[in-house]
Amino acid sequence: YVRGIFKNLHGWFINCLRYLFCCFQDRAGQFFSSGHTNNWAVLVCTSRFWFNYRHVANTLSVYRSVKRLGIPDSHIVLMLADDMACNHRNPKPATVFSHKNMELNVYGDDVEVDYRGYEVTVENFLRILTGRLPPSTPRSKRLLSDDRSNILIYLTGHGGNGFLKFQDSEEISNVELADAFEQMWQKRRYNELLFIIDTCQGASMYERFYSPNLMALASSQVGEDSLSHQPDLAIGVHLMDRYTFYLLEFLEDIHPASKTNMNDLFKVCPKSQCVSTPGHRTDLFLRDPGSVLITDFFGSVRKVELTMETINLTDPIEQLESAESGELQKEMHTYADQLPVSEIIHQKPKQKDWHPPDGFILGLWTLILLVFFQTYGVKHLKHIF
Amino acid sequence: MAAPLTLLLLVAVTVRAALFRSSLSELISERVEVVSPLTAWKRVIEGLALLDLGVSPYSGDVFHETPLTIYLFHFLVDYAEVTFMVSVAGSSVVVTYLILFQFRKQKFALEADRYPLDCLELIRSPKEMYYIPLKVAMFYLLNPFTILSCVAKSTCGLNNAIIALFILSTIKGNVLLSAIFLSLATYQSIYPLTLCAPALLYLMQRQYIPVNFRRASFWWFIVQYAFMYLGSLFVIICLSFFLLGSWDYLPSVYGFILSVPDLTPNIGLFWYFFAEMFEHFRLFFLCVFQINVFFYTIPLSIKLKEHPVFLIFMQLAVISIFKSYPTVGDISLYMAFLPVWSHLHRFLRNIFLVSCVLLACSALFPVLWHLWIYAGSANSNFYYAITLLFNVAQILLVSDYFYAFLRREHHLTYGLYLKRKDGSEATLVLK
Repeated sequence: YVRGIFKNLHGWFINCLRYLFCCFQDRAGQFFSSGHTNNWAVLVCTSRFWFNYRHVANTLSVYRSVKRLGIPDSHIVLMLADDMACNHRNPKPATVFSHKNMELNVYGDDVEVDYRGYEVTVENFLRILTGRLPPSTPRSKRLLSDDRSNILIYLTGHGGNGFLKFQDSEEISNVELADAFEQMWQKRRYNELLFIIDTCQGASMYERFYSPNLMALASSQVGEDSLSHQPDLAIGVHLMDRYTFYLLEFLEDIHPASKTNMNDLFKVCPKSQCVSTPGHRTDLFLRDPGSVLITDFFGSVRKVELTMETINLTDPIEQLESAESGELQKEMHTYADQLPVSEIIHQKPKQKDWHPPDGFILGLWTLILLVFFQTYGVKHLKHIF
Repeated sequence: MAAPLTLLLLVAVTVRAALFRSSLSELISERVEVVSPLTAWKRVIEGLALLDLGVSPYSGDVFHETPLTIYLFHFLVDYAEVTFMVSVAGSSVVVTYLILFQFRKQKFALEADRYPLDCLELIRSPKEMYYIPLKVAMFYLLNPFTILSCVAKSTCGLNNAIIALFILSTIKGNVLLSAIFLSLATYQSIYPLTLCAPALLYLMQRQYIPVNFRRASFWWFIVQYAFMYLGSLFVIICLSFFLLGSWDYLPSVYGFILSVPDLTPNIGLFWYFFAEMFEHFRLFFLCVFQINVFFYTIPLSIKLKEHPVFLIFMQLAVISIFKSYPTVGDISLYMAFLPVWSHLHRFLRNIFLVSCVLLACSALFPVLWHLWIYAGSANSNFYYAITLLFNVAQILLVSDYFYAFLRREHHLTYGLYLKRKDGSEATLVLK
């Protein structure tokens, strides 16, 4: 009888393993489909002066999303051309708000700016992209990507037809940018690159791209202006640009296990909300945008699956017959289950004001009342007046 | 008395409100003569902002106020101007009333019999004394130093208010309140500790306990008072611990006052010395300078044991001159008491010199600061010279009043027109 049970168990065990094995094979297929192993982000704000607050807020919003979704500071090159948080005209120092009513402070206390102030120049930007920096440049100021890196490049500022203005004194043209990307491709510095630009006539900047695996989004077409979202009366300037505002709203719903793809990103900020027509370019991209996850560029999703099985990777991955149903379903953990999703999306920092502890208040006022009654209960009040 | 006082208060409040709204308020709140690292309003706001960010305000060298001040300003930070005006007005009212009560207590007729006949002109008549409380209020409210200190929102105004309340409760004879306010004043800055002695003397005088070392009642009273004082100090310190849950504030507040790490120039004597002091001698000179504040208590209280109110005045003056971070707000407190001794005017010898020097120094402070810091054509010696001169003038003022007081006492005992044995006019020499 015992041997019968043992045989049953054994058979059941083999079936389970086969089921698991084919599941693993299936998922192994998905595992290696995207082709990248690390993520980088280059976020650039190119304009200075207090009235360009919104460009810094744009960049910091994207920085915040990218960091929240997992890209570490060592893989983010953040370039801000001016310091808005500590600007003398900022009525709320040490903050940069991205939403009126000061709901979201994107500056926080762990922002690492790699290039600041006058270091944000066209030359530095191009040197970062191509990797041609002097040997003394520290690691935090370098884009150390390889041929398995997915890079997100976000530019914002003032632009025109075919150029983007840096620091009010120089400009980068779309031809230069396209050539820089070609250099990156030749030097195998990226696997796939997503280029987002939020400026006036932004679509002109991606017109000249000719390197493979580039996907580009812009906030407005040639001949259109990108508009800012809303002024804040307390701070006195416009806080965000429309496109990045809606992009931020879209990104707040993304968590590292989201399955949203690029087609949803292209729908962000339609003309009714943005006034300008956002554009995108996917012809140079080898994969279908519908199969590209948002987290492929905006997050740093490490694909980790725990398995006890060996997977034969030399054979082509085939779809096996689905296993016998019933039996015992071993508990499978998927990636999303392990994340506290509700805490990762819609992160709003809790503004906690300090209050004195209740015990202290109680103690203090008890003492004051005691002293009061001691002096005025015993003595007559007419001695005072 | 109430109507002129109200009028005075209205005028004072108007002047301060006008200055608060003008552009001068920011200029004044940055002047080093008016604010010190202990009392600056900017540091209070910084400390409260640090608290809102979840950081202890005592980390770093920014905030040196006591936790009870944190508690007070946590709720009043938006109404700061009103708070300071109320504290200044309150302290002036308190001081007025305390002078009033002090005078009502004085039994004029009884005293007249004790003194030789020709001294009658030395004794104050009630008619003269009638306007003195008002003059005291005026001296405090309309003193440019007080106005500057209030407009700069320096917490010195609060300290002065507590000291004024302490003096009021002492003069009213309320031992418990006096001990409590004195412990509050000591808790705010350590130096009012020396006011223990005059308070004890006054309260003992009021309760007819003779000041004699051999009497048991003397020691018993001292024990009682010390118990109340130390007990309330202990309670306040423990309560401050419970506000923030840590003892951080002790080195930040008291360690800061006693060890003087911040050498920003002010109108005191410490900064220049310690800026050029070798580290080797720093502790020694620190002890010397700090003992200097406490040192005058015992000799003065021995000499002035019959006159504790004058002793309070002297003690306040000594504290304001020799404390580690004095500001003009401290000076205005003891200057407010000057009209109380207006009957000493005939014996003051240096009043012209002192007033000229004080006025000139007050005018020269900003000039030499500008020359040193902004124009670069002077250096710290210039500013310290004026500081020294200012303090010398204050010391001269205080010692002059002391001399006048002693001389009046002498005349009250021996008669106004002194004659030598052969009948010629004698002169009095201070040795």
